[in-house]
Amino acid sequence: MKLATTALAAGISALCLAPAAAQTRAPLSILRVIDADRYDPVRSTATSAAEVIFMLADTLVSLDFDMKTIKPLLATSWTVSPDGRTYTFDLRRDVKFCDGRPMTAEDVVYSFKRWIDPATRSPVAARAGFVKDIRAADDHTVVYELKEPSSDLLYQLTLSFASVVDKAAVEALGQNFGVQGFNATGPYCWASWTPRQELVMKRNPHYTWGPPIYRNPAPQIDQIVWKIVPEANTMMAAMQTRQADVTYYPPHIAIDTMKRVPGLNVQQQKNYIYDVFVGFKVNKPVVEDGTIRRAANMAVNKDAIAKAVYFGNGTPMHALLSPTVIDYDAKAASLMPAFDPAGAARLLDAEGWKPGPDGVRVKDGRRASFTLYGIRNDTGPRITEAMQADLRKVGIDMQIQLWDATVAWGKLATQEFDAFILSYPYVTATEALNLYFKSTQAPTPNRMNWKDAKTDALLDAASTANDPAARTEANAEAQRLLTQANVWIPLVTQQMWLVSGDRVEGARPHGLYGAGLYKGLDLSLKR
Amino acid sequence: MSETIALTPEAAPHADFAVARRPSLLRALLRDPLGAAALAVVLLVVLAALLAPWIAPGDPYGGDLANTLKAPGEAGLLGTDGQGRDMITRLLFGLRTTLGMGISAVVIGCGLGGLAGFAAAYYPAASGVVMRLMDVLLSFPAILFGLALTAIVGPGLRAVVIALSVATVPLMARVVRGAALVVLRQDYIEGARALGMSDARILTRYVLLNCLSPIFVFVTLRFGQVILLGATLSFIGLGAQPPTPELGAMAADGRNFLFFAPHVAVLPSLVIFVIVLAFNVLGDSLRDALDPRLRR
Repeated sequence: MKLATTALAAGISALCLAPAAAQTRAPLSILRVIDADRYDPVRSTATSAAEVIFMLADTLVSLDFDMKTIKPLLATSWTVSPDGRTYTFDLRRDVKFCDGRPMTAEDVVYSFKRWIDPATRSPVAARAGFVKDIRAADDHTVVYELKEPSSDLLYQLTLSFASVVDKAAVEALGQNFGVQGFNATGPYCWASWTPRQELVMKRNPHYTWGPPIYRNPAPQIDQIVWKIVPEANTMMAAMQTRQADVTYYPPHIAIDTMKRVPGLNVQQQKNYIYDVFVGFKVNKPVVEDGTIRRAANMAVNKDAIAKAVYFGNGTPMHALLSPTVIDYDAKAASLMPAFDPAGAARLLDAEGWKPGPDGVRVKDGRRASFTLYGIRNDTGPRITEAMQADLRKVGIDMQIQLWDATVAWGKLATQEFDAFILSYPYVTATEALNLYFKSTQAPTPNRMNWKDAKTDALLDAASTANDPAARTEANAEAQRLLTQANVWIPLVTQQMWLVSGDRVEGARPHGLYGAGLYKGLDLSLKR
Repeated sequence: MSETIALTPEAAPHADFAVARRPSLLRALLRDPLGAAALAVVLLVVLAALLAPWIAPGDPYGGDLANTLKAPGEAGLLGTDGQGRDMITRLLFGLRTTLGMGISAVVIGCGLGGLAGFAAAYYPAASGVVMRLMDVLLSFPAILFGLALTAIVGPGLRAVVIALSVATVPLMARVVRGAALVVLRQDYIEGARALGMSDARILTRYVLLNCLSPIFVFVTLRFGQVILLGATLSFIGLGAQPPTPELGAMAADGRNFLFFAPHVAVLPSLVIFVIVLAFNVLGDSLRDALDPRLRR
């Protein structure tokens, strides 16, 4: 009888426990709007690739939440030679790849050489600086030798392009590395990818070496699913109904509402840098005229755009670069023309651009009309229409041609257009200016075709400066020159808002290269 | 010779159609309450589109960013859009663009399709080639074709009109060929041939006029479909570019505010719905009115 009772109790217990044992904790679900073409660190410049790669792989150094301070990651320490040409990194001894193989200096050397190898054709190879040699001094020491100093190198080494990957996996998968599989030392490991639907990653069981910017250096979540939800209303509904846990792509119009939804935690990363700007192709008719560019800069109401398009969740830009960036120059900002449509009209009048019969100004038989290309996303149409209306008021006609993201990058690499609208992430002035304004960067990303010897000299001086003060001065001078030339109309600094559900603990927005969760550490699930 | 020419008009059945049927067609249409209502809506929509520059209360392009997404009644009768533009004005001008796009596509598509259909029916030797070509065109979904076209010529109304015209050609060709084959079997066609009339004259004087009933019905129904397809292409960003008001593009602009300012997406969608419904009902009524058995 006792045996029967025990057996019955055991049976009931088993029945009761069975569902509990079978019921695993649901994965952390992260919503975003667009997928990447691939997840190979050196072959994609997309934010949508970087935000995933940061979790799958590690870099030698990391960046703190202030977007300024370099912190250790795979390298515990580093030294820079007095001439600024040689960086020596001392690596951690406990790092393992997802497949359990220990990481050595040779893996770092392989990854970096792959990044700069012309055969890789990496669109971001220039970010590595003018490399002379990268070698392993021993199993845990990497020597990074440059032909000339690179003042921005450590910041560039925080980006996903400088991720350490597994040579065996790269060679086994070839062009499909980051498409069919991935192996690196990140806190999470590649599980599967269904393009334009979801990417699944699992906890790296070996990982204990997270950067010191986090409280817990080990990942706490077993599985993460990145889901693509391009439609704003669907995303908002999914967050409100707890079908998803985290997003940092909330529709701007919904941010205030989400702040009021019980159980949703909405946080802003105040140091986030991701600017929206309009660039002019300075060698194209009409916009080659500095008067037109300056008048356009004066005619566009950036405050109104930030308020109406971003519903107050965007910061109007009154300088070439974000005020939070390293080497931001306030004097250059003071040279930026203020919003003054009447002044713009007077300027155009004075320079001979007279109103034509249809209201569009004309000079020497040329109409003040130009074509702008951009990407059709949630804000592009609204920003450009608002600009178009502002410009029409001063007699400038701006034709808008927005393209689907699938063809936009190809179109933006052509010379078909006169102006373009884009947004971009950056950390330092050196990075932003060298990326867009060096003559060697034309035709893309220097889509403005800005080829100016003085700019090149200043940017070279900034990027090769061994003295921070000299770098700051060269960057400041370049900002002043470019501001006065009105090569860009800086519009808005986008804000990063991280929305997380009540199941999530430890979420904090980061935002390096647009990656809101960066390494995904400190995150845990309550249930 | 002169006697022969004098005989042909009286011998032609189209004369009976042209003189006797037209008034009765309108009467038959008006006798059907749904048809009459649809006709009234179509006339109203066309009139509103034509008179848009005079009756619109505001500037379709001039926005006011301090006054965006106002609800109906809050700013203007139907509120404002995401650029602070008056919704009534945008709808009226949007109607103009949408109808213009639909008319262009239907005229081009039906014109070319009609020619192909008549040619296939009248010249049996060409029928196989022409109709296989139409089959090829039929195999392209209009939206996919529009996507491919915009990749080449760029987004805009031109691409949409071309895509919709091409999608209309094979449908029209099939309808016309079927109707023309029936007419071409009639004795009076044999008579016309025997009298030595030219192919062009037989086609225009006899075949075309006796095929008008199915053509009218097809064109009316197709117009509704074209409006819907055009709006769809604009909705996905292939059609009208900013700041041109177009109903599909306006609905697309408003979808991001669906929870907060639903009128921006709902109003243009509602107008598309009404236009398409009106043309479909009108097409059905027209078919009934042109069918002698049903008219009796």
